[in-house]
Order: sequence, then C-alpha cells, then structure tokens
Amino acid sequence: MCRIAYPRKAEPAAKGRLRHVALCAIFALCCAPLARADEAFITSQPADALSIVDLKTRAIVSRLTIPDKPAGIAVSPDGRRAFVTSPDGKALTIVDAAARRIERRVDVGGGPLGVAVHPSGSPAYVADWYEHQVIAVEADTGAIAGKVKTGNSPSGLALTPDGALLVSADRDSDEISLIDTKTLTRIATVPTGHKPFGVTIDDAGARAYVANVASSDITVVDLAARTVLATVKVGERPYAVALARGLAFTTDQYASTVTAFDTATFEKKASIAVGDYPEGIAAARDGSEVYVASWEANTLSVIDTATLKVVKEIAMPDGPRAFGSFLRRAD
Amino acid sequence: MNLSLLSVAAAAAVAMVGFTSAANAHGPTRQKVSETIEINAPADKVWAVVSNFQDGGWIPIVAKTEGTGGNAPGAKRTLTLKNGATVDEEVAKLEPEKMTLMYRIDKVDVKVLPVNNYSSWLIVTPEDGGKSKVEWRGAFYRGYENNDPPPELSDEAAIKAVTGLYKMGLDGLKKKIEGTN
Repeated sequence: MCRIAYPRKAEPAAKGRLRHVALCAIFALCCAPLARADEAFITSQPADALSIVDLKTRAIVSRLTIPDKPAGIAVSPDGRRAFVTSPDGKALTIVDAAARRIERRVDVGGGPLGVAVHPSGSPAYVADWYEHQVIAVEADTGAIAGKVKTGNSPSGLALTPDGALLVSADRDSDEISLIDTKTLTRIATVPTGHKPFGVTIDDAGARAYVANVASSDITVVDLAARTVLATVKVGERPYAVALARGLAFTTDQYASTVTAFDTATFEKKASIAVGDYPEGIAAARDGSEVYVASWEANTLSVIDTATLKVVKEIAMPDGPRAFGSFLRRAD
Repeated sequence: MNLSLLSVAAAAAVAMVGFTSAANAHGPTRQKVSETIEINAPADKVWAVVSNFQDGGWIPIVAKTEGTGGNAPGAKRTLTLKNGATVDEEVAKLEPEKMTLMYRIDKVDVKVLPVNNYSSWLIVTPEDGGKSKVEWRGAFYRGYENNDPPPELSDEAAIKAVTGLYKMGLDGLKKKIEGTN
C-alpha cells in the first residue's frame, strides 16, 4: 500500500524490505495528510477571552478578546461558527470559527447566559436569565427571530439532534421547559431537582440529563414520555453533564470532582479529582475523552473515558467557564 | 480599612432595608479576587496560624471565633465582628501537603459583606531565606441577585469590599506573626 520512490541499489532483498517498511513508517508518522484535530472553544470569564485549543497537541492555537465576561458557548455542529454570551454586556458574539474572527456582536438585552445552536447552524438560542425567556438569533444576520417565555432564570439549553426540540433548564422554577423550535412555543415542562443548571441531550434525542446545583443530583428525563426516568446523586453542586461510552460525566463545582455514572444502570463508576470549580464539560466526538474547564484552577482537564483518569491539564486564561457545547469539529 | 469597610456596609444598610441574601441567588458572573503578602517567618509557622480555622483573630475586624470540628472539611465557625455582625463559615477542603485551606461563607448579610455564594482559599508557599508567601483568593457573586444592581451591591462594590478585607486581613496576619518572632 505504501508507495515511496527511492533510488534502487543492489542490496539484499531482506534489507531492502526492511528499509521500505521503515521509510513507510516514517512517512506515516510525519508526512501523511493528517485530518485536522478537533478543537475546544473555551470562554474565560474574568480574562474576557475565547481560547481555541487544538485537542491533539493540547495547545492554545488562537485567542480572541470577547468583552463583558464571556460565559456561554455553542459551536455549530458543522464547525462553522461559535456563539458566545457576555452577560455583563447583555450581548451575543458570533464568531467565524475557522477564520478565528468576530463576525458581529448582537445586543440581546437581559442576562444572556446559556446558548445553543440549531443543528442546521441557525438560529442560535440564548437563555435570558433575568427576563425568563429564550431569544432566537439568526446566525447570518444577527437579527432577533423570536422569543419564547420559559420558567424562571433559564440557564442551560440543549437541542435534540433533529433540531425539533429545544430544552431549557429553568433554574429558579425547578423544571425544564420543552420548546417546539418550529413554532417557538413552550409545549411542556418536566419537574427536576433543585436549581437545574446545565442540560445535555443524548445522541438519540431520547433523554435529557439535567444537573441540579442545589440538590446535588442529575435528573434523567425521557423526552418523548416527558417523565423522569431517574434521579442520580453525584458530587456537591453539579453544574453540567457530558455523555460518552455509556457514561454520564458531571462537573461537581463544590466537590472539585467529575462524577461518572452508568446511563443504563445509573450506578456510580468513579469520582475523578479535577481543579476547583469545574464547570463546562464536553465529550469528544468519538467518546474517548471528556474535557473539563475549571474556573478557579484555570485549567482544561482531559479525562480518558476508558481509564477514568485525568491524562492532561492544559493551562487556560483566568476563569475558564465554557458553559455549553464548546467542541468544534475541524474536518 | 476597618472603618471604610463598615461605612460601605452602613450605606448598603440604608439603601437595602429588608433585603436579605438568599444562599443560592446570584447573577451570571462570578468574581475573582487574589491578594498576596510576604511574611518574614517560615511557612510551617504561618500555616499553623492560617490553618487554625477556630481562630480568625488575625483578621483585625474579628472580635470572637466560635465553632466546631477543628479544621476538617465540614468544620464550622461563627465569626463575630467588632461591630457585632456575624459571619457563618465552613471548611470545604483542607490540603496540608499544599498548605491550602478552602472554606465558604454559609451565611452573611450583604450589609456586612456585599457578596453571595462566597468561597475562599488561603495558600501558604515557602520562600527563600525562611520567609513565606500567603495568598488569599476569593470567588463570589455580587450582593444583588437581579440585573442592573444598585452601586453598593454591584460587582465593583463586591470586589472592593473583598479586596479591602483581604488586604486588611493579610496585613493583620503579617503583624501578628512577625510581632511574635
């Protein structure tokens, strides 16, 4: 399979084969056109920064300034854009993810925090913490396409992979809202634990995992039946959830741990120590790793989902929060 | 420093009669403060003072410390300040090998300290020549839980109050320890 042209000399056949194998190995290591590595887009709140981390080299490859304490992040599934909320500036910043360039800043008012983007790439949905609504923003123009009322202080947002359903975690109402994206109407609510914050939907679009900050548990919701399947205790003050290899991983803010539990049996598998105030969390596309932003420790921890161990801590600008879907596919 | 902290608190009290802080209420932006000081004493001696959770007397505005549980995680204390206000606190994490104590405020009136969901870290690091460095870090939300806060409960007011507390506290720690050398 390996085709390398090199001058032929008279040499013993065995030695020639060895040389060929060795050259092929070197070529495969250094010269083959590698697929570009996926990236993490990490908001650092006090630093007013958006850092782009190459997940293969574990290095920050680009850094943008985003004013007014950027918190929430959503990268479009095609990797084209990133959407960043700045609660202190009441703004949504739309970023060209490949060009590492700010396209526009949209004044959305209220207290923008959670953000999610429709699988088609538009609109972006912004949770307004103070006005208790979700605002839909057109990605191409920045125009506000609509608003829908939620429960009190909506925080985390997530969409089903088909884009039909938007879920908001309504922190001060102890419930999630289910929103039909076509009509932008709130069609149902499901009760959760106390102070739900982050919400993550599985690849099948069947379940939502809601992190309840004050009751230190995860509510697992059957989205079709609109019922609670399970309530799973995790470490103190869980903030958000990521899903990989049949496990759910939660960032436990006060415990400074990531709890892993089995999504079939709801049995706890591990409690993994990370930096203080772990917040944003996301799983690699292939499920091999999860990435955790720790706000106080200023790190992005890489957890191997097979061994359930931290394999790398990457230093971040001050106050990494990365609340939302912060991974970008680069190919 | 003591007086300015109290006068800020008094202004807040006038403006915010009837306002009480709810343990879980806060806005979207947590704040961070860090202050450090160098102390002319070995780290183990400084750590002995800093890690004694049942004596907050090195903070100049503290009149009395009462509590239970020593300095183990979950240990509690109530600080009574010289102006009569109280602050309830709890140890979150103790790491002697890193000379780091992490604790949280369970209950404080925003009129006393205009913050919510406050946690802090005291970290002692050995320095050359038998000296040490103490860092006091804090993480907290402002005192006002809604949008567009009044100035005395803004992010700036919270940062100013905590920064003032840390500077005053670390000065007090240095004086206490170096004075007993």
